[in-house]
Amino acid sequence: MNKGTGVGTGPTAAAAAAAAQKQKTMMQRVETDIASIVDNFTQLVNVARVNDPPVRNSQEAFMMEMRAGRMVQAADSLLKLVSELKQTAIFSGFASLNDHVEQRTVEFNQQAEKTDRMLARIGEEAAASLKELESHYYSSAQRTADTA
Amino acid sequence: MDGNLEISLDKLPVKRLDAIEENGLERYPPESSYDEKRVSLIRRIDFAWAVEDDEERERKKKQKKSSKDAGATWQWQSMVENLQLAHQELSVIIDLINTVEANDAVTVAGMTRPKALPNEVLSDLAVSAATKLQCYRHLGKYFKQSAKALEQQIAREARFYGALIRLQQNWKVKRQRVAAPASSNDGFTIDLFDNSLYDSTAMSRPSFLSTIRVEHHSAGMLAINLPPNSCRFIHFGFVGVHSADTPKESSKIRTHGSVEHPTRDMEKESMNDDECVKETHSLLREVHQSIFDDQVFEMVNREAFNQSVGVNVTGIRENYLQLSIGQGTSLFISLVPSMGDDQSVDTVNAQNLEPAIVPLNSFDDIKLGEGKHDTPKNKWGFPNRISCEIYLQQIVHEHAFVKAKDRPNLSGTRVSGQSGKDGCGLLGHFCLSLAHRIFSNRVLMELENVVCRVPYLHLMTHPTWHSRTSSWTIFMKVPQSILHVESQSPKSDFQNVKDAIKSQFRTKVVVNDDRINVEGEGAPNVVGLFKRSSEDICSVNKYDCDLADLPVIILQQVASQVIRWLHEEALMVGIKTNRDFLCLTFELEQGDTVSLVAHVDPEDIQGCISWWLVMEDGFAEDWKLQMDMYDGASEYRKFLGHLSLDVLYTTLMDLVSLCGGGGNH
Repeated sequence: MNKGTGVGTGPTAAAAAAAAQKQKTMMQRVETDIASIVDNFTQLVNVARVNDPPVRNSQEAFMMEMRAGRMVQAADSLLKLVSELKQTAIFSGFASLNDHVEQRTVEFNQQAEKTDRMLARIGEEAAASLKELESHYYSSAQRTADTA
Repeated sequence: MDGNLEISLDKLPVKRLDAIEENGLERYPPESSYDEKRVSLIRRIDFAWAVEDDEERERKKKQKKSSKDAGATWQWQSMVENLQLAHQELSVIIDLINTVEANDAVTVAGMTRPKALPNEVLSDLAVSAATKLQCYRHLGKYFKQSAKALEQQIAREARFYGALIRLQQNWKVKRQRVAAPASSNDGFTIDLFDNSLYDSTAMSRPSFLSTIRVEHHSAGMLAINLPPNSCRFIHFGFVGVHSADTPKESSKIRTHGSVEHPTRDMEKESMNDDECVKETHSLLREVHQSIFDDQVFEMVNREAFNQSVGVNVTGIRENYLQLSIGQGTSLFISLVPSMGDDQSVDTVNAQNLEPAIVPLNSFDDIKLGEGKHDTPKNKWGFPNRISCEIYLQQIVHEHAFVKAKDRPNLSGTRVSGQSGKDGCGLLGHFCLSLAHRIFSNRVLMELENVVCRVPYLHLMTHPTWHSRTSSWTIFMKVPQSILHVESQSPKSDFQNVKDAIKSQFRTKVVVNDDRINVEGEGAPNVVGLFKRSSEDICSVNKYDCDLADLPVIILQQVASQVIRWLHEEALMVGIKTNRDFLCLTFELEQGDTVSLVAHVDPEDIQGCISWWLVMEDGFAEDWKLQMDMYDGASEYRKFLGHLSLDVLYTTLMDLVSLCGGGGNH
């Protein structure tokens, strides 16, 4: 997770340090979780052997449940981490966000200009039509008949 | 016991020598303890006879039993005996355990487990293996369940974030760090407040709608919940004019996320994600528009009380402002929620408004009453309500928002108009524009009335693309027949060019706000009298007038243009005539004069310009005396009627020949 601008001095230095720290924490969490899953699964497989004294089997049954619970919890924690990363990617990708915003701004400005031009054209056409209609009306037979 | 009693005698308790060694040491038997003496005494008792008796008894019993059961052997007998033996052994063991438990003087020396039989071992193993297998199967189910739940969660998140990303492309999405991560709301909000305002200090009050929370609904998709009627929109109208269109048909009727929330959830589940996002976009856009309309109304309120030109507040209520813009016209601007029911309530309130008006200016109220009598006429002259609404919004938007940034030459368009540079403010400009529009409609009506009744006039509209200026031109065109006649007569090209220029006369009417300015050719000007050649600029008159006087002014202008034309036509044939404002005078012999006089009357239905022929002899005083006579049938005045230009031309020619004939005498 990089800020994209590189490490600099001033306010970005603290931000970059915080980001590095956060990255480290996340990596640690990932490792912990994956180690937990692997470890628990190994233990689960290891107690597959059936022992003679049944009390040991019951003991192992409880242990297996506990390890399965731990595995699921680790998986859930990993998923939460993933969603946190997704959120960060969505909301902290400033470069792409800014680009997108600028692109949209340009689009909308173009659309506004286009609309203005269209309105101007409509106005001109309306004026031309009005002029034509007026001249036609006043030179029409209906009007010229009145002059006779 | 048998009859014989056996008696045994112990040895005397004397130490007897066991052995002597060579060295004289004497060995005696060790002394036995008291317990050992007792045990040895017990041992000396011979219980053989009791044991033999017992054995005999058992043999006898068996013999008896076997003799008894010889006929019917019971198949469970051995099992019963085994169980009885087991029961005896178990009872012994239980007694022993109880004794040990009670800590009696019996201690357990050692325990050995009986060696298990192979089938027992295998069955134990099988049970353990089955239990373990069951355990693993249970775990497997648990894992599958968890995986399914996690997948569902991922899918929900994917939908949610996908929709949120799409929303983010158009709106500002903010994230808040929520302290409770388990809540359904992850703390996303959409910020609709536009801080790029021109006058941010004045319009900096953010609406409560500015920040919208993004929530999950039951299917995991994002949802936006708004309280009903939270969106309000600008509503504009003219007081006393009830428009036929429903006020909100232009836009903004749909409200989502309103009261019927649970049913909409069900609908949303079945809807596509795309449609859901689109609907959310629409909802956000509505809210955005509502916020803007709030700001427009706030600006209107602020400027209404700043005493700008053209704005008079005549009524105020909550979310309602009524203004008078002069000429007996009042308009209202209000904020209404977008639901239909409230809309009908609002129109009822508008109708009941008159008693609630604060009479700041009683004269305005009187004017309002007068205006109401002419409602049908005024209604025609009123601009479209919706276009006024749009105009108001556009003015505010352009002034308040766009000025803050560098406009990419949007101000060059015609729609923008002026932005209150003459000190009247935005609202003042808006009100003046509307007042001008209404006034210019009335002016146009008057002009059309005049032009309708005078056949040789043409009206031409000139769009000014200015919201407070209108312009028309009235052309008086010489008929083509007369021009053809003239072209046939041998004249120089110079004369023809002159005639071509003079084939039409213009009168220009310009309305600025509520001032009418008439500019036209025709009347004699001092400057023009000294000009030799008439292809120079004709004398042009410019004057202001009222609406009531406008028809008369126009008709007088036109009549004077006709007179001018006739005058020039007469000059062309070489007859000298005198031209007055509305009168063309020919000189006859002996000082007699004959005049062609125009009479204008705007109320005349048959035609607004009528013509009189007036003759006078050389005695001007007599002529003046005769002017007092109202007898239309006087020999000195003859009514010619409403003449067309052709007829006027022929009349002129007749008069010319009269003058020429007289001259020839």
